[in-house]
Amino acid sequence: MTDTRTKAFLNLHAILGSLPMLCALDADASALLQAKNTDRTVGICVTNGPAGIFSFQGGACTYTECTPGTPSTLGTPSTLDRRACDILLSFPTPEKFNGMIDGTVTPIPKKGLTKAGFLTGPFTRLTDRLTAYLRPEKAALADPAFFRISTYLMFHVIAHAVCCIGNEDAIGQLSASYIPDGTLLLSAGSDISFAICFKDHKLTLSADPAKEHITSEMRFADLTTARALFDGAINAVSSVGDGIIQMRGMIPQVDNVNRILDRVALYLA
Amino acid sequence: MMHKINDYTKSHEAFARAKRVIPSGIYGHQGPAEGCFIPTDAFPYFSSRAQGSYFWDVDGNRFIDYMCAYGPNILGYNDPDVDEAARKQREMGDCITAPTERMIEFAELLVDTVACADWAFFAKNGNDATSGAVLCARAYTHRKKIVFFKGYYHGVSAWTQKADYPGVLEEDVANNIYIPWNDLDALHTVFETYKGQIAAVIGQPYMHGNFADNQLPKAGFWQEVRRVCTENDTVLIIDDVRAGFRLDIAGSDHYFGFEADLICFCKALANGYNVSALCGKEFLKNTMSSLSYTGSYWLSAVPFAAGIACIQKMKRLDMPRMLIEKGQKLSDGLLAAAHKYGYDLHISGVPSLFYLRLADDPTLMLHQAWIAECVKRGVYFTNHHNHFINASLSDEDIRETVEIADEAFAVLRQRNGSSVNRA
Repeated sequence: MTDTRTKAFLNLHAILGSLPMLCALDADASALLQAKNTDRTVGICVTNGPAGIFSFQGGACTYTECTPGTPSTLGTPSTLDRRACDILLSFPTPEKFNGMIDGTVTPIPKKGLTKAGFLTGPFTRLTDRLTAYLRPEKAALADPAFFRISTYLMFHVIAHAVCCIGNEDAIGQLSASYIPDGTLLLSAGSDISFAICFKDHKLTLSADPAKEHITSEMRFADLTTARALFDGAINAVSSVGDGIIQMRGMIPQVDNVNRILDRVALYLA
Repeated sequence: MMHKINDYTKSHEAFARAKRVIPSGIYGHQGPAEGCFIPTDAFPYFSSRAQGSYFWDVDGNRFIDYMCAYGPNILGYNDPDVDEAARKQREMGDCITAPTERMIEFAELLVDTVACADWAFFAKNGNDATSGAVLCARAYTHRKKIVFFKGYYHGVSAWTQKADYPGVLEEDVANNIYIPWNDLDALHTVFETYKGQIAAVIGQPYMHGNFADNQLPKAGFWQEVRRVCTENDTVLIIDDVRAGFRLDIAGSDHYFGFEADLICFCKALANGYNVSALCGKEFLKNTMSSLSYTGSYWLSAVPFAAGIACIQKMKRLDMPRMLIEKGQKLSDGLLAAAHKYGYDLHISGVPSLFYLRLADDPTLMLHQAWIAECVKRGVYFTNHHNHFINASLSDEDIRETVEIADEAFAVLRQRNGSSVNRA
């Protein structure tokens, strides 16, 4: 069972929230934002759900979570300033927002109708490109560059989704309730690392893992191992036995994040 | 003398073979994931044999074993008296259509040995005993709710797990109430909140949960739990599966000065032969009779014969006192070794079931590194779980253990320099 509201958080913060990383990693994605009239600020607001602002400028993208009354999974809470948005997409329910992500709902901007061309043009091409990386064709993964970006993005989505589910989903909250304060480092070889910070059973994704005091680690031997685990091609427990996934430190952090990871798979299926 | 560093080539080869046909290769608490083999290359995966206080892995490495098969080994592996009793019974029969009289003898012995026991009911694993106890409590009280102390472990049935565990339904645990250990205010509150609804309180005799110092009950804690249960017609279940016979031959409730209504034993009950027992008070005997609760091997005779021999020998040797003395001797040696290198080793719980933690690093990474260095040199400790003392552990074993622990501390100190850092 998944929860619609939690899914909205995951769709906005974890999936669309990967657009900045996409733009940073993929030159073609960045190029989409370097055309004329692509410096835009897009706000997304879901009633009884998440909110956030995407700022596109000079080929780069930044994302700020701003859901009032809920913890920010990025640790940067703010309120959604409608005046700062060129375009504002407002959804009456989480279901409607999830429908936009699924392609069954076409949003009408509450603000910025005259700039809606950005949504139907560059923004849509950008999200299509994100989808191509997150739901890749098997053949595409044979290209090492594509594989690398795809796995980076998938890793980011999963790490962020852990935070969303731990904070919003009832069963995820139960797992989070057993996590002691500290920071878990998730890494794949020397390529990539994410840090999930735990404070009073709330989860945030660190902006800079190198600055965190790490209290536990779950290390994948390399990107290939991470990919295989995310794709369900290898089993996490036997991979620990093989030594290609290593853990240490405060194991209740690792253990309970693993329980949340089970639910990530459910939400992303 | 520097000890050799173990090589685990054959263990890892065996694991590669195992995972082809067994889910996760080795599942459960004895596997590398749940068993917290950190790092995995410090630990053996498969054993080849065991004797006394030792086991040998498939690479031929010998370990002084402080996990004792996670508890069952209390007299020493392959104890001659227990094995002889089992051998004799095996020649006569084991799993037979009608149970043997060994079952009656074993029950009589338990009733004579365990302070709160008026009867004994047999099964195979600790989980069978705890599940039987909860069924019995619910059947007797016609109530649903069970109170647990956080940090508990009562087995692997759905009711013992949590709603976020794979395969467990929220409904499976909907009647579980969790309160902090040693918190009488919380206990009083839940009894007020759920008046007339609580079938049982279930607890281990003291908190020997993982990843944290073990905690003994506060003075008067169990006596107040007992009083509240009696006042509310709630069944008090003691899960003595892990601690049983290592604190008190008459049961760990007896050790802490109260009486359980139901008490669960397994592990040390038969020195490794597979049997568990649920013992209880007279007023619950008819209810226990009414349960539809049995298993194909639950009345097998060989484990009963082994259990009888084991309990008789434990009584002769005054087992808990002996194990506590050995545990204390080991603890003293480990503390001295830690102190020598400036490490803050905490040893908690009862010495026969000691729990280790290097407190210099709250992340436990330093502790995990120290345990790994011990295991690589032939002392089988774990970094997450309490340990177990067995009767065959000699002074020489303790001396060798402390020597290896000392060497492991020296390695850490060399690695980390004079200041205490994470490994």
